[in-house]
Amino acid sequence: MNDGLAGPLGRAALLVGVIAAAFGAVASIVSARETAAGEEARTARLIPRFAALAFAAAFAAMVAMEYAMITRDFSLQYVQDHGSRSTPAFYNFAAVWSALEGSILLWILALGVSLAVVTWRYRRKLNDPMISWAMAVMFIVTLFFFLLSFGPANPFAEGAPGVTDGPGPNPLLQNHILVMFHPPILYLGYVGFTVPFAFAIAALVTGRVGEGWLIETRRWTLFAWGFLSIGIILGGWWSYEVLGWSGVWAWDPVENASLLPWLTGTAYIHSVLVQERRGMLRVWNLSLLLATFSLTILGTFLTRSGVVNSVHAFSQSGIGPFLLTFFGIVVAVSLGLIAWRGDALRSPGAIDSPVSREGAFLANNVLFSVFAFVVLLGTVFPLIVEALQDRQISVAEPFFDTMSTPLGIAMLALMCIAPVLPWRKASEELLRERLFWPAWCGIAALVVSLVVGASGLAPLLAFTLGGFAGGAALRQVVLATRRQGWRGLVGRANGGMIVHLGVILISVALSASNSYTKSQDLRLETGVPASFEGHTFELIGFKEETDARSSAVKALVSIDGGQAYAPAVTKFTNMGMNVGTPSVKTTFTHDIYLTLEPPVKMDSGTARIKVYIKPLILWMWIGAGLMAIGTILAAFPGKRRRRPTDPTSAPVPVDPAEEDSERV
Amino acid sequence: MSTKQSSLKSWPVWAAMGIIVVVMLVFGALRDSGPSTQAERVDAIAQRLACPTCDGESIYVSRAPAAEAIRNEIARQVAAGQSADNEIVAYIEQRFPGSLLLPRAEGVDSLVWILPVVVLVLGFGGLALAFRKWRDEAEAQATEADVALVAESLGTTESSEKNDRDDD
Amino acid sequence: MSDRKVTSRRISRNVAIAVAVVVGAFFVVLAVSKPRTDTDISTPLLGQPAPEVVSDLVGGGEFDLSRRKGSWVVLNFFNSTCVPCINEHPELVVFDKEQSTLPDGAELVTIVNDDTDDAVAAFFEKNGGGWPKVRDPDGTIAVSFGVARVPETWVIDPAGFVRVRYAGEVTSNELTARINGMKATP
Repeated sequence: MNDGLAGPLGRAALLVGVIAAAFGAVASIVSARETAAGEEARTARLIPRFAALAFAAAFAAMVAMEYAMITRDFSLQYVQDHGSRSTPAFYNFAAVWSALEGSILLWILALGVSLAVVTWRYRRKLNDPMISWAMAVMFIVTLFFFLLSFGPANPFAEGAPGVTDGPGPNPLLQNHILVMFHPPILYLGYVGFTVPFAFAIAALVTGRVGEGWLIETRRWTLFAWGFLSIGIILGGWWSYEVLGWSGVWAWDPVENASLLPWLTGTAYIHSVLVQERRGMLRVWNLSLLLATFSLTILGTFLTRSGVVNSVHAFSQSGIGPFLLTFFGIVVAVSLGLIAWRGDALRSPGAIDSPVSREGAFLANNVLFSVFAFVVLLGTVFPLIVEALQDRQISVAEPFFDTMSTPLGIAMLALMCIAPVLPWRKASEELLRERLFWPAWCGIAALVVSLVVGASGLAPLLAFTLGGFAGGAALRQVVLATRRQGWRGLVGRANGGMIVHLGVILISVALSASNSYTKSQDLRLETGVPASFEGHTFELIGFKEETDARSSAVKALVSIDGGQAYAPAVTKFTNMGMNVGTPSVKTTFTHDIYLTLEPPVKMDSGTARIKVYIKPLILWMWIGAGLMAIGTILAAFPGKRRRRPTDPTSAPVPVDPAEEDSERV
Repeated sequence: MSTKQSSLKSWPVWAAMGIIVVVMLVFGALRDSGPSTQAERVDAIAQRLACPTCDGESIYVSRAPAAEAIRNEIARQVAAGQSADNEIVAYIEQRFPGSLLLPRAEGVDSLVWILPVVVLVLGFGGLALAFRKWRDEAEAQATEADVALVAESLGTTESSEKNDRDDD
Repeated sequence: MSDRKVTSRRISRNVAIAVAVVVGAFFVVLAVSKPRTDTDISTPLLGQPAPEVVSDLVGGGEFDLSRRKGSWVVLNFFNSTCVPCINEHPELVVFDKEQSTLPDGAELVTIVNDDTDDAVAAFFEKNGGGWPKVRDPDGTIAVSFGVARVPETWVIDPAGFVRVRYAGEVTSNELTARINGMKATP
């Protein structure tokens, strides 16, 4: 079994990938220049072959790594560091992406899949210079990642001889099934944005910024955004279920790295509607796409190089400088193209009034851009201060919470009005008319909040505006379904409203749980119930579970005399690390979150249990589900599907029977 | 639209709604949510301090042993009831320099507070300028010569363009 | 109007240049970052009376730092699984042996940091070292000194004031020389 083939085979696959991506890039560029010069598209035939080869190489490398991990091939350093005989098969499979080198393989696999799908999708249009340029960009990005994996971040490096077992992945990555879903889904989001980035570069290079390339890639961008959103939320869920501090978001650098491209991506999916409708903001949208991709690379650099732990850490491995160089190239190319071409390609035209849907989308863009700036500044500020003044400061939750609260409230406020705004111009009479019932929803939400005892300006504002915005979104969906039946649920605007509903649920739940979480340390004695916030907690006993890799002590706590919940402390024998596992009782109004605090003395018959009462947490996950559903609905073609060849600013024929319905 | 419907959504009604909301918000904002329990004090203090062995995680979030120890100390001091929150924060910060999670508003650190505000102002200011430019452009009057030129190139007499109707 | 057109015509280029300047500055900042040097690190407790250390010992008995006034005390924060602690342990054994031969020798005391009594007892039985090991189950003592990582070694003078703080491994020679130096210059 341990014939050690996986290492050399995997390395060979990576080398094939490097070659395929390099040749593919060259072929694409040559083909682009050929077809742009009007010559016959000779080289274009090669593009699909190299794409297929690159995909096959990425797939083979991943298979080799999984094979090595599954067969416990300890000749590889990576398996020595993260594999173990006692890790269950499920977690062992996921152990491949539990650390840097393996996670780059996952990224490469996602890139390979994207390459293959894009090539297949445009197989008949490869002689279009713009498509060729886009393929070139994708090949170059894939080349960089193959080089990273072949070079500094080599997962197939040989380990020390004679090692027969390893510690396994980090214990935090071994006790929840989310580890199987969160990284792949998140990476699909990151990598998904490579495609619109490639087309944006191609549009700038060829100067064809006004055409249907936008519409071609819109579904791709929507899915990438959707995967990124769900990936981020799954990360929050993992933090909640596994880490034991009962929160979902801690503003740590890794989380911020995932949030940054999401913010610019969200700005993009809104402002691109202005481009589709009015033909405006072309260069701005291109800039947003370039920024989004650059931020995914910056985020990878920040989290993979160890820079944010200490600005001096990244010089210790080759990965940091490599990623930083790649980031520099991406930014230089992007800025260069914008500087060179941007002004010549700007669309003419004007936006008539700030009180219009276009105006709302522009305000949305400003808010999201400022939010992205705040997150970026807060994340890199300690780096800069340490580099310049050689002292360490922390910029963490208090800063981000203080900054994000007013921004979030402003975004909620915008969500109240924007859905009812028509294109071009709105009269105040129209606003008064359309916003009436949504406003009453907001008032109702405020009343309900006050009745259940909420206090504090920020959360109350969030609840009021959440109700208002929810009313506005629901109004649009109801009107659309009234006019068009089930078709009123699909299409960008309607699907978007459902996504908005999801976002509102998440915002309200986040606000409630951040402001009104109550916690208490209970010292429970067996058989003696204690009460807190209207619930009784009784320690029934202890349970010990030992297996090959860990020994867990569970405290069985009965909540309100009912079923026992078992928070645990697990000692992973290989790593000598103690990991606390919370146990959560979920209801529609609040979660009861229990953790077992060390030191745990089973024979004393007492346990220190920390209880958190967290309001409305379940609604966060419901909101996430709504976001996913809404994204899928938005990807369906709406009633009026534009053909890619329609000019983007042609007026839409007006059908008087559909005066008030959704039109995109 | 019937007059009854239009009077329901008229300005006075909206103004009344606005006043109701403001009153309720003020009431809710100033409402006393009860004295904070010891656990809440401990949590609040813990959220202001960084765990010394982690990468910027707060003591509230971190499960590291050092964070546990500091949480215990905070709980001990809160239970003793002799120090105010700020004093306890200062006690920990003195012994673990750099653990204050909120950057101070002095010197270089203040930039982290000022720059976002600057960017926000620039953003909305730029937007306002853009709207003004667009409005100015739109207000440019077509001269007779312009109208004639357009008619000539269209090969028609002046045709009125249908404006986008009030639609979504 | 034509002036505004010209400047707005250049907006993309100007904004791109501005962003390039900012990103370039970021790169430069990262490139010229100076490496940090770790020497014996400071503490606000330097020259101050040492915090209270009152606790029981591993294996029974009591300990109170204030009752050790009159002699030099070396506090070593220790954990049986931390690699540098294991590395420096032989040095501490040598140091303790030497100091116990002196009339005014320093007293070495271990403060257990986030470890179980059994593990500590087993470690010392295997590796030697008969000096007191103070229990600190809640970490209160560590926090009062500001110790987050081990090993750390603190030197307290006979008047009970903190004189030196070492973060990381120490050697017997360094400790002895330092204490002798401080004894010579009161």
